[in-house]
Amino acid sequence: MNPPPVTAAPLDAGRQGHYAGGVTRLVAFAADVGASWGIFTLALAGLSFAINLVTGNQVNLGSRQVLALSGLVIWEFIYFAYQWSLAGKTIGMAVLGIRVVSKDGDAITPRQAVIRTITLPLSFLFFGLGFLGILLNRDRHAWHDRLAGTVVVYSWDARAARLRWLAKQEPTTPV
Amino acid sequence: MADRAVSPLPGASRMEQLVESIAERVVNLVLDAIDINAIVGQVDMDALLAKVDIDAIVSKVDVDSLIDRVDVQKIIDRVDVDEIVNRVDVDQIVARVDVEAIIERVDVQSIIERVDIEQVIQRVDIDKLVEQTELGTIIAHSTSGVASEVLDVVRAQGVGLDDFVARWVNRILRRSSEDWSPGPPKLVNPPVPVPALPLEASA
Repeated sequence: MNPPPVTAAPLDAGRQGHYAGGVTRLVAFAADVGASWGIFTLALAGLSFAINLVTGNQVNLGSRQVLALSGLVIWEFIYFAYQWSLAGKTIGMAVLGIRVVSKDGDAITPRQAVIRTITLPLSFLFFGLGFLGILLNRDRHAWHDRLAGTVVVYSWDARAARLRWLAKQEPTTPV
Repeated sequence: MADRAVSPLPGASRMEQLVESIAERVVNLVLDAIDINAIVGQVDMDALLAKVDIDAIVSKVDVDSLIDRVDVQKIIDRVDVDEIVNRVDVDQIVARVDVEAIIERVDVQSIIERVDIEQVIQRVDIDKLVEQTELGTIIAHSTSGVASEVLDVVRAQGVGLDDFVARWVNRILRRSSEDWSPGPPKLVNPPVPVPALPLEASA
């Protein structure tokens, strides 16, 4: 069995509205985890610094694990649920050019955004078994997608990207 | 002749013949002596025609039956259209046309509604247009940047890897890529707008 070649998608391929693949979704999720953790860490450090300034006591919120973990869980919920309900995409998804929509293609509702956020950890159970559907299912549903009635699609306009690339080329002959 | 047959006088028939021959001779002599053209020349034709009721005459003519009897095609065949067109001063005609008035009478909206924009766009080679015109520079100035270029590359690579993984999964599961649904129905098969009816049909 010859392995299929790995090639970048042609820039003129119209993929908007098509189900997003596992790699793009994984990279987007990793970017979101990095972004949310980074923001949370910075916020925690900033808050500790502000408390130190106001009270004069040396406080390290990061060392209070229960408090920090609770704050992190709440923050992650806000980070994902708010962004999904607002625009159907998180920072990482925007970078990778994907977004969440209802399974029929309509915009995601705030209720769906909340359900998707709450059920997202379920897909991590059993060594990430819930994500296997992204590779195997025809509609690329993970468990949290199925529970929230959502799908992830490409929102990246490949044609516009190709036009931008063409625009950078030197004009050849006048029309 | 019947009068002659019932004439009461004897020899009357011969007399009448004689009179007729004399009259005939006299008339011929008179006609020879008269210059008809001179008489006609003295007639005021304009005054004569002014007394004629042309409308009354025309109204008595059955124009439809007259036209029915005319072989129009034969007439057209005998017309040298090229010759007529060559004699027409088109510039002069156009100069007399009030284009503004014509444009004001045109319902542009109805024309636009009858144009299949999708088909027109399909015929435009966007790539060539952007490559060869200032449009490319405009797009480049308005939308390009290092960040967007990096994003385009990252996204293209991501989609390429997605396709690669999907092809492998399809091979392992012995599934055709055509079995996969491309996306949500409203996004991959949006409802086609109903084209506007032509004016004749809607009238």
